[in-house]
Amino acid sequence: MNEYYLTIGLEMHCEGSLTNSKVFSSGKNEYSEISNCNVSPVDMGFPGILPVLNKKALAHAITMSLILNARIPEYMYFERKNYYYPDLPKGYQITQNPPEECVGNGGYIDIEREDGSTFRVEIDNFHLEEDAAQLTHLYDTSTINYNRAGNPLYELVTKPCLHSADDAVRFLEHMRSIYQYCGISEADSKKGHLRCDVNVSVSKDPNKLGTKVEIKNVNSFSSVRETIIAETKRQIDLINADRENEIIQETRRWDEETGTTVGMRNKVDAEDYKYFVEPNIPRFKIEQSWIEEIKASIPKLPYERKNSYINDLGLSPYDANIIIKEKGISDYYDECIKLGMDPKTSANWLTVNIMGYLNKEDINITEFFIKPDMLKIIFDKVNDGTISSKQAKDIFNEAIEKHINPKELISNDNAQISDTNELEAVIDKILANNQANVEAYHNGRTNLLQFFVGQVMKETKGKANPSITTEIIQKKLEK
Amino acid sequence: MEFNESTIDKLADLLMIGLTPEENKMILDEFAIIDKNIDKINNIKGIENIKPMTHCLDDFKCKLREDIAEDSPSIDDLLANCKKIDGREVEVPKVVE
Amino acid sequence: MMDKTIIELHDALKSNQVTSQELVNEAIKKSHEVQEKCNAFVTILDDAKGTEVTEDLLSGIPFGIKDNYSTKGILSTGSSNTLKDYVPFFTATAIENLMSHGCVPVNKTCMDEFGMGGTGTTAHTGVQRNPWDPTRMTAGSSSGSAAAVAAGVYPFATASDSGDSIRKPAAYCGIVGYKPTYGMISRYGLFAYVSSLDTCGVMTRSVADAAIVVDAMKGIDPKDMTSWDSSNIHLYQDLTKEVSGKKLFYIKEIVDKNHYTNLPKETEEHLDNFMKTIDIVRSLGIEVDEVSIDQDILNAIASTYIVIGCAEATSNMSNLTGFSFGPRGEGSNFQEIMKDHRTKGFSSLIKRRFVIGSYVLQTVNQERYFKNAQRARRLIVDTIKEQFQKYDGLIMPVGTGVAPKLDNTDRVTDDELTPLEEHLQIGNFGGFPSITIPNGFINNLPVGINITGNCYDDQNVLNIAYALESKMNYKNQIAKEVK
Repeated sequence: MNEYYLTIGLEMHCEGSLTNSKVFSSGKNEYSEISNCNVSPVDMGFPGILPVLNKKALAHAITMSLILNARIPEYMYFERKNYYYPDLPKGYQITQNPPEECVGNGGYIDIEREDGSTFRVEIDNFHLEEDAAQLTHLYDTSTINYNRAGNPLYELVTKPCLHSADDAVRFLEHMRSIYQYCGISEADSKKGHLRCDVNVSVSKDPNKLGTKVEIKNVNSFSSVRETIIAETKRQIDLINADRENEIIQETRRWDEETGTTVGMRNKVDAEDYKYFVEPNIPRFKIEQSWIEEIKASIPKLPYERKNSYINDLGLSPYDANIIIKEKGISDYYDECIKLGMDPKTSANWLTVNIMGYLNKEDINITEFFIKPDMLKIIFDKVNDGTISSKQAKDIFNEAIEKHINPKELISNDNAQISDTNELEAVIDKILANNQANVEAYHNGRTNLLQFFVGQVMKETKGKANPSITTEIIQKKLEK
Repeated sequence: MEFNESTIDKLADLLMIGLTPEENKMILDEFAIIDKNIDKINNIKGIENIKPMTHCLDDFKCKLREDIAEDSPSIDDLLANCKKIDGREVEVPKVVE
Repeated sequence: MMDKTIIELHDALKSNQVTSQELVNEAIKKSHEVQEKCNAFVTILDDAKGTEVTEDLLSGIPFGIKDNYSTKGILSTGSSNTLKDYVPFFTATAIENLMSHGCVPVNKTCMDEFGMGGTGTTAHTGVQRNPWDPTRMTAGSSSGSAAAVAAGVYPFATASDSGDSIRKPAAYCGIVGYKPTYGMISRYGLFAYVSSLDTCGVMTRSVADAAIVVDAMKGIDPKDMTSWDSSNIHLYQDLTKEVSGKKLFYIKEIVDKNHYTNLPKETEEHLDNFMKTIDIVRSLGIEVDEVSIDQDILNAIASTYIVIGCAEATSNMSNLTGFSFGPRGEGSNFQEIMKDHRTKGFSSLIKRRFVIGSYVLQTVNQERYFKNAQRARRLIVDTIKEQFQKYDGLIMPVGTGVAPKLDNTDRVTDDELTPLEEHLQIGNFGGFPSITIPNGFINNLPVGINITGNCYDDQNVLNIAYALESKMNYKNQIAKEVK
């Protein structure tokens, strides 16, 4: 691999799911199981309709441009990209072109790797456009649902500046979290909010790019990683087999089943989109004061939160990184801190127990039953010694399973025994019944301590406070 | 790309329209005149320095739309003019990518 | 009654000489007669109901709507087979505005398919004929509206204008055609032809009526980003014949007879008549100058229009697929059914123009054709705007004479008369307010004169036309068939 240089460029499409209305119409921007219930005449391209730009969607695009350190043009306009497809009701998509006229032109963003090192991603452009309708393919028909048609779509195009699948995915994950943090999109792959096109080229010369191959519509970050790895391998194998001429500038797709990229039926000549300026949307000025207003409203972004977790709350960079990845998780954590819960314990519970559960069940934290205030009840009961940490976990699991507030599950029935007198009685009995082991302990087998603790636990059905128990046993044995 | 009969047929095909041979011929003739007249435009001194006029008025003061959603028309209205419907959706022959 | 002006009808309604329903019935009856003779309508609304008569000048009065305006529950075809069965569920803003004044639509008028073409012969309902002489065209694209107003079906009909589609048929029918400044009337619900040129407007038989109707149609519309606030403009209320001291110009290269090597006799008479009208204009105290404009710029007008028009049109009509509205084509895949729909649905003219439009938009061709046409557009507009610094308006003859015979086909032409034939397109390039009024007859057929002013200066343009109209005898004339 050393003799080859891999270069990756990404096009990341993110549907702006968090506006009320669509980008060029007043149709509702809302996911629905019911087809064609969030549609305006504009979204279906009826004769006589006209586009009207949504201020909020543009504000979101400007937010992203600012975060990407891109140049925002003084005047803005839109273009039509003309082509026919049943999911494109007007026969053209309103978008932005060329890069220097887009809401974001050029720019960069610095990304941190897991090991703490950083790399810079150069941005070609960032633009605002409209989404297409959704086609469902049945046995011999396809059906068109226009609910999605006209939803704001943000497209981020990087320069070919990434050199590993890890960096590519790291960058995408960071961008996804920014979309979430800024309230622009839920950026939920499962809802189809994210789609990527990946450009891969391999070269022997570090100063020259190889032939660019585009892999379209890669719909999850894990697929992006696999796509890059598979396409890189394909290209290297071809070069090694002296078949470099078979690497052509083309569009391929990721085939999940075979784990390879597959060439798409190439048209004889590339489609000409006949871009021209959308005459129905006047060229308009983006006031500097508005940009300043938007800039001031950008919330704390993931890296800022991470730094505060590490520096102010003493988390490990590892835990901090996990927590900030998704805004929902980070918000949950912030809520815990606000409720006065211990930062490290909270982080631990969140990254291990809660995220473990979310991954297993494949759900979002917003759908998670135990809210921070409920978690606090469990924490408090551990802290005041009412329950053991083992019990805490049991209560946590039971609460999730039965959707019962943990408060209801912590009763006298399962309360921890911390009463020294009560514990001493049990311990004395156990020591008396195990004289041989007591002797062995005195002869140096100090690890038998755990055996005695275990016996106490068994006797008390796990309710004995483990630290107090250990302390008492130790004291009695040392006598 | 030269403007000839096969160009015309190719463009028509991309536009999803069929042309008769007579129509093809007419386009060729009409285009010849346009082409000649375009030369008149292209020969205007300094034309290349003029900014293309893409909109009708140069001094539009447009207001962007506030992000307020309106209710969808009823499904009956939306699909009233559609000839092939499957449930609440528009049906077309299977679209093969 | 239908040969009366809006004010006269309003007075008759107010004084109970006639009811709204009687007017509507008369308009419907007249519609059928004109349909028989001129084929002017796509739809006649036989069960239209009269409305309550209020203080509003338009209340209770019947009118016609060009078929490229979307009308809820009423067939709206744009005179195309691609929409031959399309019944919209929403109404164009301009029509909604108008109907809020209580006037009653009684028919949808035919047009050149989607506004493209200037003959009135490409409607899917067939050739449309001139009420003055059924062997002649009314020109287009607002052919049905022009014919119906001229024939006295009602006092006004809505129309639209992308090149001269209101102002030329008005001349050929001896009536008034007014295209306001671009964006004064919302285009929401108007079927798009050339979005950067399309303008809603009206055909009437008097300038005052045009002012009344546009007052009712106009207004900023949140559904049209190119519409603007004209709430401080009250065209009818501020109409005045006090125009002494105003200054107009005409273009020497187009109007001067000596400029032509081969001038048809009819055109010569037309230009002579124009100069006679100029004398009347001067008698109003208006100064009229002859201004020379670079011939290269004048020669660029027609090509500029056709290149921009074809390009925008081919994109605008890409929504016509037959999938969710319009007749469904036949075929086994979406390409086939779409192609079938479009091949059967569009007239030959449109198909030809689409091919040209798509060619000039191709990336490799854009500079030479589309962008240079857009550059020429700016050059033409700037040239005229420069004159508007000195003049209140441009006054010009409309077309080369009277309505041509119908056996003329609509082809791209190129000769020395082209600038005279096509100069009204300047009004669309610049979004200028522009009005045609009748200014006489040649061989018993009407001809027209046009006044065009700077953007937003609609009042000035209307006032000059209003004053001039009062000095001539063609106000509110009804077509008399020439035998």
